[in-house]
Amino acid sequence: MPNHNKIELKKLTDEELMLDVSQGNLDAMAHIFERYNKRLYNFYFQMVRDKAICEDLTQTVFYKVMRYRESYKGGQFVSWIFRIARNEFSDYYQSSKKTSRNTDIELVTSKSEDDLIEKNDNVTHLHEVLKTLNKDERELIVLNRFQGIKYDKIAEIVGSSEGAVKVKMHRIIKKIKTVYLKTI
Amino acid sequence: MNCNNIEQRIVDFIDDQLTTDEAEQVQKHIETCANCKVLYDETILLFKAFNDEEEQVPSENLREEFYELLEEEKQLLNPKVVQFNKQEKEFPWKRAFQVAASIIFLFMGYFLGSHKTGKDANKQIIALQKETNELKEGMVLAMIENQSVSKRIQAVNYTEGFEKPDVKILEALIERMQYDGNINVRLAAAEALSEFPESIMVKDAFIEALTTQKSPSLQIAIIQFLVKIQEKRAIAPMKQLLEHSDTPDFVKEQVNDGILQII
Repeated sequence: MPNHNKIELKKLTDEELMLDVSQGNLDAMAHIFERYNKRLYNFYFQMVRDKAICEDLTQTVFYKVMRYRESYKGGQFVSWIFRIARNEFSDYYQSSKKTSRNTDIELVTSKSEDDLIEKNDNVTHLHEVLKTLNKDERELIVLNRFQGIKYDKIAEIVGSSEGAVKVKMHRIIKKIKTVYLKTI
Repeated sequence: MNCNNIEQRIVDFIDDQLTTDEAEQVQKHIETCANCKVLYDETILLFKAFNDEEEQVPSENLREEFYELLEEEKQLLNPKVVQFNKQEKEFPWKRAFQVAASIIFLFMGYFLGSHKTGKDANKQIIALQKETNELKEGMVLAMIENQSVSKRIQAVNYTEGFEKPDVKILEALIERMQYDGNINVRLAAAEALSEFPESIMVKDAFIEALTTQKSPSLQIAIIQFLVKIQEKRAIAPMKQLLEHSDTPDFVKEQVNDGILQII
């Protein structure tokens, strides 16, 4: 097997690491975790501000990456892992919608938000604004503005074209800008 | 460049996604158009709010759990190879016998429970006992010609439980006593046969064996049996034994002793 040893692993790209993992070198999986756990956790935190749920979802993504490692056939790793993360979130979202009594489920939950309010007014305000978006819109803006993922990769993640993503994104930015500035 | 076009481009301009030419155009427009300058400033403000978001740090649990999962996955990847000893197994007679017996007991229990009327139950039990015996007999007959000495002895010993064994069983036992290659099997067979002193077939077999068997221990066993049942027909072959020069002295003593008892 063309597996890399532990010292070499550090220098590899995400894609090279994941190919190693897919061929059975699970040591490489640890590096993927170290590179991505904060990112995924923050992605979820910007969608659902609940630490326990975010940790669960993050863990599930790594578990799935590990379990279904053989389905990785190369290609942008960031798109691949966020595709999994997004699917996981959809599942969570659907099930929480079913179990919740509120028909209009709030993506932002209360507890941890309160802590943030006192720390930074802008952030609180921004999150109030983000609440006005639907799930898909919020996902796009989170991926782009918080995660810094470019349109072409977002298109890969959500299964759309770069052009379509760009158009949607501009519309969302325009929308939240208006709300954000009105209430500031 | 008009103002409608520029609004979309402002985002790309801020993100540094435009070509040098396009960026220059946007730059110039913002500097000259007050409305678009406001638009630009507002967008910057919004994006700054995103950038000001504090990064969250997951708890150590996440890492600990992940490494546990990773270890489990590694275990799955290298499962320990369990090797089974490949022994050449001979048919497990004892096991088969036990299984058969337990099945029969199970049925017996079932019939005992389900038929409360005594007669019925008794009939059933008798039928089942008969069945058990038949089965045992079958086992004995199948086992008695086994290549293994211990298996043959085991088969011989199984006959102890029979009250009135089938002729086939007696024949098989007699054959073992007379012709088995192993002295221990012959002795066990003689011992088993001595449980059935009423059978004429058995008596005849012992008398015949007295003349043919050369092994002293078997001879003694035979003599003891014939003396015990007071078999008068045994006297003639016993006397022959006395005359025979091959007969060991202690056997002769047994014979003399025996003849006195029979008479």
